[in-house]
Amino acid sequence: MKYAYRKHVIKWFFLLPCLAYLIVMAIFPLTWSLRLSFTKWLATIMENPEWTGITNFRDILFKDPRFWSALWFTVRFVFLTVVIQLGIGLGLAHLLHNNFRGRNFFRVLFLIPMACPPIAVAFLWKMMLHPDIGIINTALQTIGLAKVKWTTSVVVAPFTIVMVDVWEWTPFMFLVLFAAFQALPVEIYDAAAVDGASNFQVFRKITFPLVAPIIVTIVLIRIIDAFKLFELIFGITSAGPANATEALSFYVYLTGIKWMNLGKGSAMSWIFLLIVLGISLILLSRLRKKI
Amino acid sequence: MYKRLIFVSLISFCLLLSTALVATGEKVDFTGRTIAVMVEGTHVPVVDAWKPLWERETGGKINVIVVPYAGLSDKLWIEFTSKTGTFDTAAIPSSWLGDVAGGGHVVELDPLFTKYGYPDWDDILPAIKVITRWAGKTVAFPYDGDNHMTYYRKDALEVPEYQEKFKQKYGYDYHLPPKDWTEVRDISEFFNGWDWDNDGEIEYGCAFIAQQKTQAMWEILNLVAQYATKAGPPSNTTSNIFFDADTMEPLCNTPGWIEAFTRLQELTKFAPPGLLGYGYAEFRYAYVSGIAALGFDWGDVGIMEQYPDEYGSKVKGKLGYGPLPGARKYWDHLNKKWVQEDHQVNFLNFGGWVWIIPKATKNVDMAYHWVTYITNPDRSLLDACGIHGYTGVNPYRKSHFDPGVLGLWERGGWDPNAAKGYQKAIVDILTDPYAVTDLRIPGGEKYYDALDTRLAGVLALTTTPEDACAALYDDWVRITDEYGKEDQQRYYRQSLGLE
Repeated sequence: MKYAYRKHVIKWFFLLPCLAYLIVMAIFPLTWSLRLSFTKWLATIMENPEWTGITNFRDILFKDPRFWSALWFTVRFVFLTVVIQLGIGLGLAHLLHNNFRGRNFFRVLFLIPMACPPIAVAFLWKMMLHPDIGIINTALQTIGLAKVKWTTSVVVAPFTIVMVDVWEWTPFMFLVLFAAFQALPVEIYDAAAVDGASNFQVFRKITFPLVAPIIVTIVLIRIIDAFKLFELIFGITSAGPANATEALSFYVYLTGIKWMNLGKGSAMSWIFLLIVLGISLILLSRLRKKI
Repeated sequence: MYKRLIFVSLISFCLLLSTALVATGEKVDFTGRTIAVMVEGTHVPVVDAWKPLWERETGGKINVIVVPYAGLSDKLWIEFTSKTGTFDTAAIPSSWLGDVAGGGHVVELDPLFTKYGYPDWDDILPAIKVITRWAGKTVAFPYDGDNHMTYYRKDALEVPEYQEKFKQKYGYDYHLPPKDWTEVRDISEFFNGWDWDNDGEIEYGCAFIAQQKTQAMWEILNLVAQYATKAGPPSNTTSNIFFDADTMEPLCNTPGWIEAFTRLQELTKFAPPGLLGYGYAEFRYAYVSGIAALGFDWGDVGIMEQYPDEYGSKVKGKLGYGPLPGARKYWDHLNKKWVQEDHQVNFLNFGGWVWIIPKATKNVDMAYHWVTYITNPDRSLLDACGIHGYTGVNPYRKSHFDPGVLGLWERGGWDPNAAKGYQKAIVDILTDPYAVTDLRIPGGEKYYDALDTRLAGVLALTTTPEDACAALYDDWVRITDEYGKEDQQRYYRQSLGLE
């Protein structure tokens, strides 16, 4: 009895730091921000928040077109980047799965973008994409092509953000898929070869089903991460031109931090969180069914 | 009895002496104490120049917190809400005072001026005194004189051959500097897309800040100031461009504002192709590299012009300076009609950087001493005239314009005549009692962000000026309601000096 009690205490003793950390760093901020989301708190001029019920949520969902346009941009961005990154990542992983001279060099090379801090990537690309003095437009002109308004056209700028994100995060897809390919059992491939399966058949019938669970996981990770798009917007376009690249997280930042509207900012964050959770759950259940 | 009187008098004398010493720059002893000074990157040369001297003279230490402009307000508001004393003084844009002072986050300075004194307060230009005050109280220290002005290339606009061709095409002689925005339009069109300075490269008509979230809204306000009001003692009808002071209804959907948007949109046709990527830094570097005939910016371009090596200036000695162009008409919002009248309105864009002391600091005396130390007439002149390079500080004291200190401007790289022209353009604006000030009410940044966003659509040609102004009107009504219409109206009237 005494031993069981001691065991019980020790168990809690080891759990306690972790629980304390969770409560202080995750649960408390979440509940605090949930409470804030039902208040009006313009922290620049108000000492304390005032309870306003669901006003913030109603205003955001029904009276704030900017919220919807930011959400729409974010959804399009997430869809495009994740699809492109998955496609390229899959292709690269498949390519480098085969043995060829210099394979290790390319493996390291493809990982470099992911190792760079996102804000550094943003400023690097901002310089390279500058319409007048950027190296990319200079190169285009050198070969006789016209300058592209990478960051100053409302049509092109959203795709520029997609392009940079693809450059930065495709290596993540590649890395995980490459590891998955490496771990696949050789025997099945040998059997397929004996049966005379083509490369495409092997990929479709063997490789893809085997790595599908991994794909689900990394697609989800990337979706959640892509929804949090911030640094590229902050560093490259500042949400311009004409708010064409304003992501939801950037709008939340403006509302909550820049304008110190902490009540509305918190409400927006919660809506954002619920959207990401909802999309993740739907995707997870659908993909699971397909697997 | 006498002993007590003598004792009290002695103590009072010592206290008075110690406070006077803080202000007069006499010996003070801050040994063992440290203050944190927060500045945006541009002002680092100022801090670097005076920090060692101040530390040597006072025994105190300075911990410099450098933040980029984009992160400055974040840092500021985190401190104001958490009250942790992260910094003891900070240089901020005066246009933020609506929130900063309106929220009661900074130390009121009038009592400190009385207590410590202030070095040559009468030396501060009138417009700069205005921007340091909020709701009748002095809440910030003067540090910088900021206003947009016109820059023009003398090697283009003063060439007789070009002037003759211009007259043939447009039927009139333009003024130097351009008198109104109609002349700006024509000059920009005329000098656009050809190599008028014979350097082998194509030049453009005009350039200005146009990138979203990089202060482009101040460019449109240059025009709004001309088309939405006329100069006069600030009232509902004169030197007032943002709201109807009697009803708090936004004026941004009036024909005066729409005219301003329309004209700025048209100017994009005569600007370099990368215009929408021009933040203030990009614009300044591009303009001093010689890309355009006309430019509209703060005094910083004039300083950068003097430094071919540091800033790649190819226009040293080639720039002319002037006030903002005026207009041939303005919209009378009370009588709802255009008034045809040649006029010009000065606008204190940004107003200038100012130093504030947050309430949470425990080092008010040190912060006060530091700011008055670096902004005294002699030291501030060295920051403003170019001797310390590009510091972000433009002249703001009468003594900065004194003919007796022209030699220092020459040491700052200026040609004496150029310096005189530059000084005149600035001093004319900063001594104008009717100059329009920035919007200085709570939520100022939010109002300006809405303006910036709508303007971006117009400059990118995705929105018409009419639609942009209508949408901006809705934005501003929403923001006003959010902050409370009555309070905002009271603050706005106070900012105009009507209450």
